[in-house]
Amino acid sequence: MLGCARLAALQQLEYRFNLLADTMIQPFVVGLVEITLWMAFFASSGQAELAGFGREYYLSYALWAAFISRVSTSWMYESLMIQDIELGTVNSVLVRPISFFEYYLGQLMGYKVLTTAISLMAPITLCLFLDLPVSLSRLPLALALTFYYLILVHVISMIIASLGFFFTRIHHLTVAKNITLWMLTGEFFPLDIAPEPFKSILTALPFSSAVFRPVGYLTERLPVSTIYEGFLSVTIGLLVLGPVAALLWNAGRRRYSGTGA
Amino acid sequence: MTKIIKKYTYLFVSFFKASLMAELEFRFNIAARIVTDIVWYIAQLSVFEVLFRHTENLSGWTLPETRVFMGLLFVTDSIFMMLFSENLDRMGEKVRRGELDLLLVKPVNSQWMMSFQKVSVAYIGNFLISSAWLAWSLSQIESFKPINTLWLLLTVPIGLSIVYAIRFLTSATALFFTRADAINYIWYQVYRLGTRPDTIFPQILRYMILTVMPIAFLASVPAQIILGKSGPQLLVLGGTLSILLVYASSRFWKYGLKSYSSASS
Repeated sequence: MLGCARLAALQQLEYRFNLLADTMIQPFVVGLVEITLWMAFFASSGQAELAGFGREYYLSYALWAAFISRVSTSWMYESLMIQDIELGTVNSVLVRPISFFEYYLGQLMGYKVLTTAISLMAPITLCLFLDLPVSLSRLPLALALTFYYLILVHVISMIIASLGFFFTRIHHLTVAKNITLWMLTGEFFPLDIAPEPFKSILTALPFSSAVFRPVGYLTERLPVSTIYEGFLSVTIGLLVLGPVAALLWNAGRRRYSGTGA
Repeated sequence: MTKIIKKYTYLFVSFFKASLMAELEFRFNIAARIVTDIVWYIAQLSVFEVLFRHTENLSGWTLPETRVFMGLLFVTDSIFMMLFSENLDRMGEKVRRGELDLLLVKPVNSQWMMSFQKVSVAYIGNFLISSAWLAWSLSQIESFKPINTLWLLLTVPIGLSIVYAIRFLTSATALFFTRADAINYIWYQVYRLGTRPDTIFPQILRYMILTVMPIAFLASVPAQIILGKSGPQLLVLGGTLSILLVYASSRFWKYGLKSYSSASS
């Protein structure tokens, strides 16, 4: 798996401008758009606080959420997994002494480690420069949760990719899934300002461990207990979705006949 | 001139029929696309629905007005997705694989072919859904004058032309770079600036999205005009910019083709 991780990192470094756009430019613009929204909110509403937190907390949240959400999403590797199954190139992975799941998990993690190392420099610098609330000593634990959550994301990718054995075109499921998660993770706004019952549902789901919990903890909005709850919630997610992924994958493989592609 | 219009209309109808037949082969895919966009609509709306629970005004926009803005965004976006998105998204791939050569030898304008060859018929569903949302959100505004919807006949084509031209310009960089994916990523981020009312942005950024990168004409300016929040003067600017940008995209395409070397085998 480490070899796969190294391979992914090296592949990304081949196209440095793409990597820069992916890790810095994209999240920076996303953060900028969200920050302006919060600035407009506080300027127009005349409120000094929202749910007990002031303007700076929301600016910091918007900035970090844009970057952390990039880390906790999987577009590229899920598409590659689907493509492998659609085109039959999955054969080349099946004959290797590593499972399909591990092969792509290794690559995903390698890519994400590289992405994280590069992209987090921007919010750290901006927070220090603009004096926005952030506790950098909390960063390792926050990132640990995000990376643990990535395993769950990869399991969901396995489920979607395995559907490729049964349906001809499933790329749109990736887009639908990612947009849905985008809404559930707390990238747009801290989930605790959503009205009930959405607030309780959204915070209880494991997807809140992608952005809301790590960023809330990092920006001193949430206590450490929420991170532990996040680990628990993701574990439950893995226990529920893991067997589904295994079942679909095995059923799909039984149905699949390689054509030597 | 009439002959040319007839020829291109006939071609477009043929492309539409071919695309429809191709898409009907994968009905699950059509449903997935519609559902995907509905999820995207909900995601976008949820931001404002949550924010407006804590304030009544956001940089001069009320919740009903913001819903109109979002409705216009969805309508314009669905038309863009239907006509251009897939064609322009695949431009880089077509250049890399040499498929562009096949278009260049045809007795039709190559930019037109590149832009309209595939119609994403599934988005007709999204267009209907977003139009229904727009109609509902307009009906929630007491002071709204239905006659103002006529402005849409001008504002939507202007917004679409601007977005098309900018997107085409970014996609056409594929003629110069092996992998222009990064420039496409940047386009999506610029596009995000158009998914918020322009008045929320700081003055300098607002100025930029009205002039340099006029993405505010996608939904923000049309919404202001039909809601009577702004006079039609901005349309003069929008109209001029749309003509200039479409012309620039044509010039850029022709210039790019000069440096294009065939890749097909």
